Amino acid sequence: MMLEISNLTKSFGPRAALAGVNLMVGDGEFVILVGPNGAGKTTLLRIVAMLARPTSGTVRIAGLDPLKAGSTVRRQIGYLSHRTLLYDDLSAQQNLLFYARMYGLVDSDARIAELLERVDLADRRDDLVRGYSRGMQQRLAVARAMLHRPRVLLLDEPYTGLDPLAADGLTELLSGLSEEGCTLLLTTHHIGTLAAVNRRAVILSRGQVIYDDVVADVAGFQALYRDLVLRRVSDGGATMRTPPRRSLPVAAAGPPRPSGAERPLGYLRQVVAVVAKDLAAELRTREILSAMFVFAFLAMLIFSFALDLRGAIARAAAPGVLWTTIAFAGTLGLSRSMAREHETGGMDGLLLSPADRTVILFGKALGNMIIMLTLEAVLVPLSSILFNVSLFSPGVLAVLLAGTLGYALVGTLLAAIAVNTRTREVMLPILLLPLVVPLLIAAVQATGGLLEGLQWADLGGWTNLLVVYDLLISSAALLTFEYVAEA
Amino acid sequence: MIGRESVMLQRKNRVGIVLAVFSVVAFLGALWMVFDYAPREATMGDVQRIFYFHVASAWVGFFGFFVTFVTSIVYLVREERRWDIIAASSAEIGLAFITMTLLTGMLWARPVWGVYWTWEPRLTISAVQWLLYVAYVMLRGSVASPEREARFAAVYGILAFVTVPLSWFAIRWWRTIHPQVVSGEGMAITPRMVQTLLSSIGVFTLVYVTLLRQRIRLAHAQDALAALQLAQES
Repeated sequence: MMLEISNLTKSFGPRAALAGVNLMVGDGEFVILVGPNGAGKTTLLRIVAMLARPTSGTVRIAGLDPLKAGSTVRRQIGYLSHRTLLYDDLSAQQNLLFYARMYGLVDSDARIAELLERVDLADRRDDLVRGYSRGMQQRLAVARAMLHRPRVLLLDEPYTGLDPLAADGLTELLSGLSEEGCTLLLTTHHIGTLAAVNRRAVILSRGQVIYDDVVADVAGFQALYRDLVLRRVSDGGATMRTPPRRSLPVAAAGPPRPSGAERPLGYLRQVVAVVAKDLAAELRTREILSAMFVFAFLAMLIFSFALDLRGAIARAAAPGVLWTTIAFAGTLGLSRSMAREHETGGMDGLLLSPADRTVILFGKALGNMIIMLTLEAVLVPLSSILFNVSLFSPGVLAVLLAGTLGYALVGTLLAAIAVNTRTREVMLPILLLPLVVPLLIAAVQATGGLLEGLQWADLGGWTNLLVVYDLLISSAALLTFEYVAEA
Repeated sequence: MIGRESVMLQRKNRVGIVLAVFSVVAFLGALWMVFDYAPREATMGDVQRIFYFHVASAWVGFFGFFVTFVTSIVYLVREERRWDIIAASSAEIGLAFITMTLLTGMLWARPVWGVYWTWEPRLTISAVQWLLYVAYVMLRGSVASPEREARFAAVYGILAFVTVPLSWFAIRWWRTIHPQVVSGEGMAITPRMVQTLLSSIGVFTLVYVTLLRQRIRLAHAQDALAALQLAQES
């Protein structure tokens, strides 16, 4: 069996999204999963794709336990979700190249060219995804899901938003994949759209499989579906039975596909890929940096009015104004960086890859740190001019580096939390600022001490506090990011 | 799970009632010790007596956050709802006690220091800590999925606790005008004062345990109610 699901349950508080699902899918099978809204289809696919954990029960893919062989299993899975998991501000080529790096593909250029040809986007490869139609985006999303040659392709409502012509194109594409031996598990409300005759269909209702058989004719199946689901609603599911399944002959799953087209995942290479992706998007739009620059300058202007910063007072207040400005502007940047990931479902795309979870934290944090340091490269000379102080010393630069590192790491972690809250527009500063106050106090005092002519060794507790804070908070962020990233 | 909770909730809350009665009696005893048994401090006068509430509530606040920290770690490892309930309950109670610490500290500071508030490091860290757990409570209220809420809150509960040792050691790292009651040379107060302080700490801890038990019970009742409502809707 390629996919073995046994007694799978998933509860959200008192609500059971899955209530004991059992499903076996053979190598190369094409299974259509149907069910009313809230039946648990998406939850089931997300658990199989390792984007969510089950409450109980087991999933085995190609005979492997995802809990023990997560990275290997992720290489076997391709997932197409409601969202495209594509970055709007990157081109088709850049999007696929990023995912190819995350999967460690060796033949990435050839594979990308082949897939773009196959989904009929070769001539639009350098266009930004935001300029694509819905159908084009969906075709590119299929290419993304197929990029690493997965043995199992999970497709969640792939026909949503497609016009009839685009839907036919997708059906043709999926049929081709099935003929090539790829195992497909697809959820849909539109079984009529698919070439469903002689394909296996599974009906999921209230978190349980209530039907599992081969479709003889589409109209008959649709009538049966309505009857089964309506009857289950009316009798609360008490009398429903799963009919015996007339299976199509299926092959047993072989061992995981040899990774001839893949190389061992380089941790650093993947971190660099995440950073490069973020910086490429930022270079294209410049929306984060420009907002941070303008905000930082405005903050300094307002501080100068509010605190009457002139003469000696200005020099004394310079470190505080500098760090407060960095903190506030940094919060803006962190918020936008994670929102960009959230809007396209990009975090799911990162989590689907076989990369270690800390790659995502380090990659995102490093990208944010580079953006913050770019801001500081302007703020330091600006502060030197506005407040008549000299901030150009190795000590001050070391404090800036240490402070920014801690801020970017913990800020990235908390931005990943804040972006998933109902009050995402305001939650990041509320979560982040109280947590970085000890860091800011230490950074301001250390910078002030250095401006007064003290040596690094004379700063005593402030630099110790800065380093201890960085170490503690960074270790905690590394240990806990996995729980934040998981949807 | 729900069945077991329902049975538990149907039982009479005898332990809770005993704890509540005992807490009230013990609190009255502590009040007597604070206002009668403990001697009048020579320099500060009667205003010093607020110190017994200030230190005791600070201890319970720190302890409450420590419980949140530990149970948050356990929740992330075991993913069992009960640990999340304890973490949330303890944070809320800890926040109430730290609020009391800040208020009693300000009431004490006005006649002694001449100001309600001064930005010395330990006070600043206490304020930061208060804000951290306000943020913790706000975070819990703004996540739609209960599972995500528990995970996010557990992570934040762990990160927030990092500031507790910073607060504790801040008095030694930085120059401060905050009175240093406990030092390497022993306590700077009389034996009766020590006995009163320890009694206050004991009583406040008992109040914390009573409140925690009731809050956990309430959370289980909310879960059971939600399950019943869901079953009825189905």
